[in-house]
Amino acid sequence: MPFRRILAAIDGSEASDRAFATALELAQLIGARLTALAVEGPLPAYAATVGEVEEVKREKDAFFGRLLARTERQAAEAGVELDVELRPGHAAELIVRVAAEKQADLIVLGHKGHFLRDHLLGSTADRVAEHAGCPVMIVK
Amino acid sequence: MSELAIAVILAAAILAASTISVELGISVALIELALGVAVGNVFDLSAPGWLAFLASFAGIVLTFLAGAEVDVPQFRREWRTSLALGAVSFVAPFLVAMAFAYWALGWSGDAAQIAGIALSTTSLAVVYAVLVETGLNQTVIGKRIMSATFVTDFGTAAALSILFVAPSLWILPFIAVSAALVVGLPLIAPWFFARYGNRVIEPEIKLVFASLFLLMWLGDKAHSHAVLPAFVLGLALSNHYATHRKEQERLRVVAFAFFTPLFFLRGGMNVSLSALWANLGVLALLFGAKMAPKLAGVYPLARRSCAPHGAFTTLLMSTGLTFGTISSLFGLEAGIIDETQFSLLVAVVVLSAIVPTLIAQRFFQPSAAEETLRQPGTIAEPVLNREGS
Repeated sequence: MPFRRILAAIDGSEASDRAFATALELAQLIGARLTALAVEGPLPAYAATVGEVEEVKREKDAFFGRLLARTERQAAEAGVELDVELRPGHAAELIVRVAAEKQADLIVLGHKGHFLRDHLLGSTADRVAEHAGCPVMIVK
Repeated sequence: MSELAIAVILAAAILAASTISVELGISVALIELALGVAVGNVFDLSAPGWLAFLASFAGIVLTFLAGAEVDVPQFRREWRTSLALGAVSFVAPFLVAMAFAYWALGWSGDAAQIAGIALSTTSLAVVYAVLVETGLNQTVIGKRIMSATFVTDFGTAAALSILFVAPSLWILPFIAVSAALVVGLPLIAPWFFARYGNRVIEPEIKLVFASLFLLMWLGDKAHSHAVLPAFVLGLALSNHYATHRKEQERLRVVAFAFFTPLFFLRGGMNVSLSALWANLGVLALLFGAKMAPKLAGVYPLARRSCAPHGAFTTLLMSTGLTFGTISSLFGLEAGIIDETQFSLLVAVVVLSAIVPTLIAQRFFQPSAAEETLRQPGTIAEPVLNREGS
């Protein structure tokens, strides 16, 4: 199946770096357009001060700014056309939604393998695989 | 137990709270309150005088910070729409919770007033986190909710400072000095901060602390509370801090590293689990006495001014945490409420931080992207979107 639009979910972890490298290689090979989606996780729940929220938000913005800049550099070096998106919210839900918005025909994401959390709640990769409307590649 | 031993336990709890907060992604204040409950109930500690003193000051610092965090230009743009929303959000639960505590629970008049104040609050920080997380803080509806929250907070601060005033001559210097600081500090701040700021010895923070101690002393003399002037003073300096973020950050560092943990631990330490267990029914009723008037009062207005997200707005306006805890602790320190009443009020305040937030996020959270389409000219998600590099 020819993939024309690939969505890679990134979060700066080693697993996501491997997934992005795979997506980049694939996009380069088949001439697909690539979207890198970073999902900003939740801010401190039930905060008592705005300062606490602002500080975490600022840290996240700085972290994801660096991550997306690095992603863009890698894509430029590989000669792959890339969009980058940074959105706040729930990871699995957003990956599925953005994939639909962008009409992606493949989602690539990493699997971190957090045993206890995965066992109890299921991983992001599990949820995306269950709900996505297109093929999902999980890179381990 | 010696005071130093108590200090060691508290320091360990403060350290543990900050690490647990980072690991779980839950506000450090809530963890500090919970650890305070654990420390207070497990060790059966009686809080030393210095802890009560520092916690009182921390409450005033928190109030000042809350005022300083208000976006005044945004409030000026939204106040007409937000005034009714914020005022009803304060008045409705204040009256209902006060009446319920007085007539149904048989609390004294003053204790019922404390209940009304503590349960009338809306948490600016809880609301802000939800709005920022979704990108809605950049939309009209988000700005409107933030402005309304400020109105509610102002009502709470005003009620706490005014309702318990015992008329005496001290009220005059209290009002005069409050007014002088609110007017004078923003005027001298640019010069003072430029001349003495940006040093590790932090003269600008000491200026703020000295002003707050002065307000606390005069408030105490006037049998009032420095919450209102501290809040307004923060508000008066908010424009200055908006353009001098580093100064605000340093003030927050000092406050969060030392003062505010003591405030929330002290609050938690006074919560009696056995009293809560014995009064679970009353706890549920008090929670209802906060939520029912908030929902019934705010929803009709929110349905009009924040359409089509009336339910989401109403639930966010029903949250509470910091001002509720400050009001309850004031009531306890002043001997207006007893430990059981304090435990019930703080438990309701914490529940109101969690329950409406969860329901709003789970069932009513609007998409910022949809909101942007609905109201062109606003900026919402994605936070960042760079096409084709």
